[in-house]
Amino acid sequence: MRASRRARGIQSAIALVLAALWAFPVYWMAVTAIKPRSDVVSRTPVFIPHSPTLEHLRTAIEAPGFWHFARNSLVLTIGAVVIALLIALASAWASTRYFFKGRKAFLITIMAAQLAPWEAMLIPIFIVYRDTGGLDVLLALIPLYMVMVLPFTVWTMRGFIAAVPVELEEAALVDGCSRGQAFRRIVFPLLAPGVMATSLFGFITIWNEFVFVNALMQSEPNATLPLWISAFQTVFGTDWGATMAASSLFTLPVILLFAILQRRAVGGLAAGAVKG
Amino acid sequence: MGWPLVNNVLLSLRKVTLRELISRDVVWVGFDNYRTILADPAFWDAVVRSVLFTAACAATTMVVGVLMALLLVRLPRFPKLVLSISLVLAWATPVLAATTVFQWLFDTDFGVVNWLLARVGLDTEGHSWFSTGRSTFLVAGLLVVWQAVPLVVFSISAALATVPPELDEAAVIDGATASQRWWTITFPLVRPMIGVLAFLQVIWDFKAFTQVYAMRRGGPDSSTTTLPILIYQEGLARSQFGLAAAASVVTVAILLVLLALYVRSAVRAEEVR
Repeated sequence: MRASRRARGIQSAIALVLAALWAFPVYWMAVTAIKPRSDVVSRTPVFIPHSPTLEHLRTAIEAPGFWHFARNSLVLTIGAVVIALLIALASAWASTRYFFKGRKAFLITIMAAQLAPWEAMLIPIFIVYRDTGGLDVLLALIPLYMVMVLPFTVWTMRGFIAAVPVELEEAALVDGCSRGQAFRRIVFPLLAPGVMATSLFGFITIWNEFVFVNALMQSEPNATLPLWISAFQTVFGTDWGATMAASSLFTLPVILLFAILQRRAVGGLAAGAVKG
Repeated sequence: MGWPLVNNVLLSLRKVTLRELISRDVVWVGFDNYRTILADPAFWDAVVRSVLFTAACAATTMVVGVLMALLLVRLPRFPKLVLSISLVLAWATPVLAATTVFQWLFDTDFGVVNWLLARVGLDTEGHSWFSTGRSTFLVAGLLVVWQAVPLVVFSISAALATVPPELDEAAVIDGATASQRWWTITFPLVRPMIGVLAFLQVIWDFKAFTQVYAMRRGGPDSSTTTLPILIYQEGLARSQFGLAAAASVVTVAILLVLLALYVRSAVRAEEVR
């Protein structure tokens, strides 16, 4: 693509405008969170904060239940993601490395499960929770969330396992490793980036989950951060500074994870491990 | 995973309210729930809203996404990096945080959008964006598009990178204009990717619950009640589980019809070639 200098300049300018447009809401959230109150409620918006303050962050953190909801969110997210990863690792492993009866059916089921619409699941799942006394029991959400992220986790994990050359494993077996040792010592270290990438997806899905927690957890002690934030008007009224501070705190872990894992997830660790 | 779906269909054929749930009676009512739902004008309003909202959001997302992808692949290093980072930020922001931010951007008294529009000469001071269904949808739609575009841009620019530049160069030599080159060379090559993304957008936008619900809980006056919100309110807020199950079966059916239409046209296009 050899565009003229001028065309290049115009393209770059458009790109920067678009970049500003896309980044602005996030920027505005962060900036509102650290602006003094008088700058938040001013007729002319203050775009660059002169005197940043931690006032709103303090309000958000000290709001009743913040830590409690944050803990609920973390417990659910980590619990569900870790269990899903363990199950996915085993089943993805089995279905890429071994051929067994029903393997195809298994793969098709996993694919189909990804398409299941939550609208059609909400009512029956609500009734199952009701009948089993799972309504308003925080930890009862873990199996549901686990099942929610499992299909995707298995699916991507298969891709990562398939990318680890079988020869490596065979070499380990020849050298006297057991199957288990070969997996632990050889395959798993190579899979680690894949495991992280997959867990990123699971983490974001559950961290954001709103529909089911909204329907199944009715009392406040079992709320999670999404529920809490969705009710910001009852929590903070029209205190936009505190609302934005709360939203920023809610967003921060996701962006941090993105930043940390992006780099690790990409990388052909196994590339070149086998001589062709 | 399959069981709740079957159960949902069964539920839709029963009378299930709080009373039946507690007494555990099973009352089969045949297609009564469907008859009630289909005769309810509120249901059809929700169908129309859902379809229009989905069409508008998915179409906007795809057009903006494709244009931005075309731009992205032509950019020099630095603007490319800046644009990519902005897109990742929008993409990574949790839906609920984004929903509160958009409510703040469109706030009546101190929202930036009102201020900006007033600056360019529109009479928007003190304009309330959430007082009518249409403008609430507009804000929700902008939010949906804002968050959906990054995935489209990244996927399509990845697909564009696989298009051999020689083809384009040859066309330039043959004197093809930019739009000719796009429609006859690049577009056919990236069409599968565009198709898959459009397909996903339709599913996602049709099912968008969180954005619309968290914005105004289906209000004002249930004028932004889309199908997912209707199911939620009917089932869990009013405890009409049977009716809600019937509505959800119809919703899934509509979705399947839309997708079947798409698959058929995709297959046709394949045959023509």
